[in-house]
Amino acid sequence: MISRSQGLKAWLFQRLSAIYIAIFIIIAGLQFVVRPPQSFEQWHGWITSPVMMIATAIFFWAVLIHAWVGLRDVIIDYVNAFAIRFVLLVLLGLTLAGLGVWVARILLTGAP
Amino acid sequence: MRFSIYRYNPETDKAPYMQDVELTEIRPDMMLLDALRELKKNDETLSFRFSCGEGVCGSDALNINGRNGLSCITPLSSLAEPIQVRPLPGMPVIRDLVVDLTQFYKHYRSIEPYLIVHDPVPEEEFLQTPEQREKLDGLYECILCGACSTACPSFWWNPELFRGPAALLQSYRFLADSRDQATADRLQALEGPYRLFRCHTIMNCAEVCPKGLNPTRAIGEIKKLLLKHII
Repeated sequence: MISRSQGLKAWLFQRLSAIYIAIFIIIAGLQFVVRPPQSFEQWHGWITSPVMMIATAIFFWAVLIHAWVGLRDVIIDYVNAFAIRFVLLVLLGLTLAGLGVWVARILLTGAP
Repeated sequence: MRFSIYRYNPETDKAPYMQDVELTEIRPDMMLLDALRELKKNDETLSFRFSCGEGVCGSDALNINGRNGLSCITPLSSLAEPIQVRPLPGMPVIRDLVVDLTQFYKHYRSIEPYLIVHDPVPEEEFLQTPEQREKLDGLYECILCGACSTACPSFWWNPELFRGPAALLQSYRFLADSRDQATADRLQALEGPYRLFRCHTIMNCAEVCPKGLNPTRAIGEIKKLLLKHII
């Protein structure tokens, strides 16, 4: 996913993604509080508007990046045996990539 | 006063053990090091390091009641009984309270703890403004006792790769020095997920430093410098 995100890049992405995730959750949450959708169609129209689509896509991308950096840190810290560490990192990468594909599918086609 | 002291002689002991000992003659101004020296009079096999005895040399860092500190400046009166004395955590024990700090010094050496100047060196002396000199306060005072690095969980987890708070504080001491000209090389040498970025601001280092220094802050400053460097 972000194979070159060693050191500084990983650290920076972790922080930038955290800021974006926080802002997105606050704005999307406020939207539901201030102007709650009255019907499925209304909600669907809101979530499929181009701005919301792009913002949601970036949100999930940020969540995946954030999860990658955070869980990678946990694995690097706690799993010392190289082979197990490598396998876990590959599994984590594949899982997150799979989730990314799934999110993209939902956002692009509307199918679960 | 009761003590529980970590004992291990690899030549005779199969495993380390805690030895309970008592010291009856306690003076009110006694430091832990004084007590250890009294105990050594009764049992000369008890091994520990010390030199200056006044918190300057950094030889006698120990784990005292679970917290790293210098035995020579730790008053007995500040400690709860039985006083548990152990070697610095995570380091190979040579004997009793003496640990092998080879790894620690290897990291220190790797950050090139000296001024690197590419321009011709001035004939007489390097001049610094008081403001430039001030930037070294809180950095140059480090005595390399190892209390911070051996209290750092990130250092316990990746001792071969993570430089540790002491070496990183020293690294920033030279990065912050107006006379040093190797900033880019120094920063480059700290890149990657291990050397610098294993620090998760746990702050055990700042908590235990017997000189009151703050390696976590220095590490944060290095991250800022790295960021400035790529922008």
